[in-house]
Amino acid sequence: MNIATIPHPDTITAAWGWFQFLLLLTFPLHLLAMNAMVGGLAIGVFQHFKGGPLGLRLVHRLAVLLPLVIAFAVNFGVAPLLFSQVLYGHFFYTSSILMASFWLAVIPLLIIAYYGAYLYDFRFQQLGGAGRWLALTVLVLLLVIGYFFVNNMQLMLLPERFAEYFGRMNGSMLASTHPAFLPRYLHMMIGALAVGGLFVALAGRFQADRDRELTVLAQDVGLNTFLWATVINVLIGIWYLLALPREVMLLFMGRNLPATVCFTIALLLTVGMLIVAWKQKFWLTIWHTVAMIFLMSFMRSWLRSGYLQEVFNLDQLQVVSEYSPMLFFFAVLVFGIGCIAWMLKKAGEALAGS
Amino acid sequence: MNYPVWYLPEIGGGFLIALIAVLHVFVSHFAVGGGLYLIYAEKKGLAEKSVDILAFTKRHARFFLLLTMVFGSITGVGIWFIIALINPAATSFLIHTFVFGWAAEWVFFLVEIVASFVYFYMFDRMDPATHLKIGWIYFLSAWMSLLLVNGIIGFMLTPGDWLTEQGFWRGFFNPSFWPSLFFRTCVAIMLAGCYGYLTASYTKDIAVRQAMTRFSAQWSLVALAAAVPFGIWYVVVLPEQAMGLVMGKSPTIALSVRWGIGAVACFLAITLIAGILRPVWNLKPVAFAAMLCALVAMGAFEWIREAARRPYVINGVMYSNMLKKAEVAGLKTSGFLPSALWVRNREVSTGNQKAAGKELFIHQCYACHTVGGFNNDIVSRTAKMTYPALTSYIGRMHEIRPFMPPFAGTDIEAKALAAYIVGDLQGKEIKEESVSGPTAPGKAVFEGNCSSCHEVKDMAAAMQGWEQKQIVETLGTLDQISEEMTPFAGTEEEKKQLGLFLFSLNQKTEAAGALSEGQRVFAGHCSSCHSPEEMPDKFADMDRTEILDLLGRLGEINDVMPPFKGTPVEKGALADYLEKVQGGQK
Repeated sequence: MNIATIPHPDTITAAWGWFQFLLLLTFPLHLLAMNAMVGGLAIGVFQHFKGGPLGLRLVHRLAVLLPLVIAFAVNFGVAPLLFSQVLYGHFFYTSSILMASFWLAVIPLLIIAYYGAYLYDFRFQQLGGAGRWLALTVLVLLLVIGYFFVNNMQLMLLPERFAEYFGRMNGSMLASTHPAFLPRYLHMMIGALAVGGLFVALAGRFQADRDRELTVLAQDVGLNTFLWATVINVLIGIWYLLALPREVMLLFMGRNLPATVCFTIALLLTVGMLIVAWKQKFWLTIWHTVAMIFLMSFMRSWLRSGYLQEVFNLDQLQVVSEYSPMLFFFAVLVFGIGCIAWMLKKAGEALAGS
Repeated sequence: MNYPVWYLPEIGGGFLIALIAVLHVFVSHFAVGGGLYLIYAEKKGLAEKSVDILAFTKRHARFFLLLTMVFGSITGVGIWFIIALINPAATSFLIHTFVFGWAAEWVFFLVEIVASFVYFYMFDRMDPATHLKIGWIYFLSAWMSLLLVNGIIGFMLTPGDWLTEQGFWRGFFNPSFWPSLFFRTCVAIMLAGCYGYLTASYTKDIAVRQAMTRFSAQWSLVALAAAVPFGIWYVVVLPEQAMGLVMGKSPTIALSVRWGIGAVACFLAITLIAGILRPVWNLKPVAFAAMLCALVAMGAFEWIREAARRPYVINGVMYSNMLKKAEVAGLKTSGFLPSALWVRNREVSTGNQKAAGKELFIHQCYACHTVGGFNNDIVSRTAKMTYPALTSYIGRMHEIRPFMPPFAGTDIEAKALAAYIVGDLQGKEIKEESVSGPTAPGKAVFEGNCSSCHEVKDMAAAMQGWEQKQIVETLGTLDQISEEMTPFAGTEEEKKQLGLFLFSLNQKTEAAGALSEGQRVFAGHCSSCHSPEEMPDKFADMDRTEILDLLGRLGEINDVMPPFKGTPVEKGALADYLEKVQGGQK
């Protein structure tokens, strides 16, 4: 494939493996927070419409947590977006420009959704029945933002479509007509619903000392949602796999050994995940899911390189080594994690004391 | 040329960046200074054992959380989005060069989030000493974020030694790093006082409102006073060209400076009068007026800083239109279109001249110019220019207006660009002028140097009654007429040619641009001492032969007059001219 419109990449300051490592380390964190945000809110909205005093107590807990998980979903999204730009920026910037009008709309939509979430939290009682409509609006906004994100992530993998720019220079392209788009979007969002179920169950557990009923309801709703959403997502995953370009799909079918091994482990892990969830083994389900999300991120990485294999591979990036800034970053990271751990410890002590 | 351009001709990318960036910095600086303000407000409440002041601090912390965590952090991501959409080449360059600086900033952003949540949600639920420590962690991590971003933004303005030796740290600790950091820290504290002033205006308890109004005003005034020396230091370290622009060479910066000074003066007045002297006057409209002043001042500062880099987006490295300085010379030879990725017209031909010109406009001009929009509209900016004038101007615009990048392309591409602007956008005729005559060289100089700002008829009106000598002298001191102008930088010969052309505009005997050879000879040999108006009297009743005779013995008329040094043909032409101007009585 000879595509004249693929930009020339800039040089990188360390071997690409470092950036890939950091990308694969931080992206699952974003996925976990994003899933808790979207899935937790979806379950909250459903419970809010369903009503009932116990259900509303659960919904209120979720409303309190929503602004917090939005903050972490955003923050944990920054790091992988940064590292992916180092590796694939020349594709990502291009696709962003091709769909610029939609891409930039993410910012005001997110601000509205975020303020909506705080309003839902701070005015939960005063809002009464209107709160569920507010929560639904926030959910729709988040789903729309996800729709634009998946569009961009898909469009950057389709350089053969870049030339369509000349017919639409106002940034109004999308990739949603691509056969893999819909299963990809659904796979991401139904996965979010499943993980959101675990988040709801976890949120309930934090109330175990004060509201036992709520904890039981949260675990019941959360694990059931997780189980059924995962079953559905397995089917969507198969659809997604079949919708991939044949050359990309075959990477997971033996053509690329690490990718195939990863895919096989993921399949086994899915079975294990369903079994432990069926048996209501909460922490086992959590750890299976976290491992699964990491594996999914790895497969997503192979998927990306598979899509682009004819026009680009990471070995083409020119390295102009300078490692001291990276050491500085790792030092800052360790220091930051230490600070956060200390603050959470102090907050935990204060909460226990109060 | 490496990336596509998001083309919204009437809006322009610069406007979108400015809109998001100004609003973001207004909140993000508050996010830094506000952390320190909360610590000291809480300490004040604890020291005075005032439940009301602590309640005020908690209420302010909630406002702080809602504003900085939502609007501040998301518009921060928004800046990243918009700069990557408008200038992906520069964004990619900065991301790749400073990736671990950005990554470290992300860590501090994460610490900020956790600290601000713990600070707000644990208010009254944590022992005060630990709570204050959380406040300090918040402030220091926010300040570290400022420090890191400051290093990278400073690099864009003053890359310093990085230009010759590269390296992360050399670029990061650039010449404007420290003055900018201290200046911004002061601004952040000033804004914290301003926002505290706003929260105070909403406080119902009169005593608390007055106490916290005065407290906030003191913060703002002390920080504002401290910002002055750092601001001066900041300007002093600017490169020569940037300093020139800041000091008045750029009309937009000059306007921003006036707005900024006015806003600071208003802010100072409000804070002094309705903050320190009469805190009871801190009513909501007054507080919002102070906020508006602070926003305008902040916007003016950021605008000046951005504009001072011009014509670069990264000083000395990359122009605003994404072209690297190092590649421009090659593009002038090989052409822009053949090497650009995102164009359809790979070369200019008679059939595609305007279409190719449009692509050149999109890739080289649209970064700063809209088409029919309110921001730097190319249509109104070039309304006075003809096709030849614009073609000539495009080749020299970076010399005439040093804040504009050079055109990176061949002469044929420059003509294509001019054809698009004059033909398609102005609707004028595209015609190569074949001018000849004595004033033709001067006219060409005028079109290349002056026509972007001045119309011929305006110049004729402005210089009516001027002698050619006076015009030539004035060309050397144009900066005394306006700070936006620089003395004519062409050669002495070009200056004379331009002077002759401008002088000819008011000569009634000949149509401008088509003066006789005799008039040219007069202008070149006589006009430094004589005006054409005095000639009819001097040569009254003389015929051509007598005039010729007189021209051969000028030294006999007057000791200070040099003999005529022109050729016999020129002498004949001059005689014809002088005979004509004295009325042709003979």
